[in-house]
Amino acid sequence: MEISTEEYKIQSFDLDTQVLLKTALKDPSSVNLEKVSNIIVDQSLKDQVFSKEAGRICYTIVQAEAKQNNGNFRRNLLNRLQQEFKDREETRKRSVQEWVCYVTFICNIFDYLKVNNMPMVALVHPVYDCLMRLAQPDALMTEAEVDCLVLQLHRIGEQLEKMNSQRMDELFYLLRDGFLLQEGLTSMARLLLLEILEFRAGGWLLSSTAHKYYYSEI
Amino acid sequence: MSDTAGNRLDVDHSPGHKHRSSRWSHCRKRGIDGHLRESSSEQASSRRADGDKSHMDKRQDSFTTPESAGPVSRCATDWGSLVEDSEMRRDVQRRRILGSDAAHRERKASSGSSGSCDSREGENMETDEAVLLRRQKQINYGKNTLAYDRYINEVPKHMRQPGVHPRTPNKFRKYSRRSWDQQIKLWKVKLHMWDPPNAEGQQQVLDDITEMALEDVMDIELDFPSLSDCQQSSASSAPHSRSIKEDECEGTPVKLHKADSDTA
Repeated sequence: MEISTEEYKIQSFDLDTQVLLKTALKDPSSVNLEKVSNIIVDQSLKDQVFSKEAGRICYTIVQAEAKQNNGNFRRNLLNRLQQEFKDREETRKRSVQEWVCYVTFICNIFDYLKVNNMPMVALVHPVYDCLMRLAQPDALMTEAEVDCLVLQLHRIGEQLEKMNSQRMDELFYLLRDGFLLQEGLTSMARLLLLEILEFRAGGWLLSSTAHKYYYSEI
Repeated sequence: MSDTAGNRLDVDHSPGHKHRSSRWSHCRKRGIDGHLRESSSEQASSRRADGDKSHMDKRQDSFTTPESAGPVSRCATDWGSLVEDSEMRRDVQRRRILGSDAAHRERKASSGSSGSCDSREGENMETDEAVLLRRQKQINYGKNTLAYDRYINEVPKHMRQPGVHPRTPNKFRKYSRRSWDQQIKLWKVKLHMWDPPNAEGQQQVLDDITEMALEDVMDIELDFPSLSDCQQSSASSAPHSRSIKEDECEGTPVKLHKADSDTA
């Protein structure tokens, strides 16, 4: 069964790496999984397209490895994620783009890598921490960060709320405040915030009229 | 900003985050402690990071030995181990339920036991979660080997001869701590017969045998069934990562016994 490059969005890797990744997907024990997990994390921090979908390839490798009774890839991946999490403030200072990629990636992992069909509890607080950071006043001034924030909430908001609703409430206090009080927000940022407020208020669903308002062409 | 907006201006009333800045604090130049605010966002996120640790484990960060594949679980706060542990815990719970179901069915059928959930008497099953977790971990270390993979590929279950072919100890049966650990050791040594033909396998057999002999000596002096694995760790200086992994502490280290053993 041919593994499609497009399916896992690995076009941005050089050919040798693509081969390595495809091998990891088929037979994890035959490759150096620590290396593979590092490659994936490094690329996710650089490539926004990849960071949005890297969860899938990670999921497949974890499944394949589990069949071989191993958990090295997942362990390496998570510990690497944790390292980056500890350094996130420096990352943000150095490059907002990298920071945004990191948040996208960790949320993607939260989405895909389930344990016993439940999201990983260990990631709940870290994900919230990242989103809370994005909801801070300085971050709301950066459209890329607002955009990232609302994207993640669209994708994993509901699951995240189930895991811890109190923190979701806190997050939304910040979002309301930001929307109402923050001076200097671009109109796009305000639009994104209003939409996500409505989205959650509607039970993580946008009513069809609201959808028309936000998403149809005028 | 007006102070009349009721409780929205109070210090954050959510229990877990007493030290967080209040919601309107970004308007304030000084924090509650009187110091000038640098950036409320940094304070909030660094406090959150500390709060994180207190959610998981009030003790120090995980420790890693150079040889081990990663930090040790249960004493550690690294995400890799946390996730593995929670997965194993659920696994154990699920199997415990299945195990007791199987035991009920067997008594009704009044025939001999077979299959993977063959704890004979439902009442005499091991149910202590900590014990089951520990045992499962030991089993995993044994199964996580090339030898085991080769063995199960080579010898299907129905071809297995008792005594000749290694059989995974049943963690749901009641055994003393010594008995169980010995079963595990013997099982793993037997598995080595299926090692891939190279030097590493042979070294591991020697390590296991040494480990066995040394631990027998220590067992005589330190045989307390309630204590954690720490006291079992031998003076074996086996560099092999697997031995170190299983010897490292899984519960709260019992210091006075650790002094005797050479835990890395």
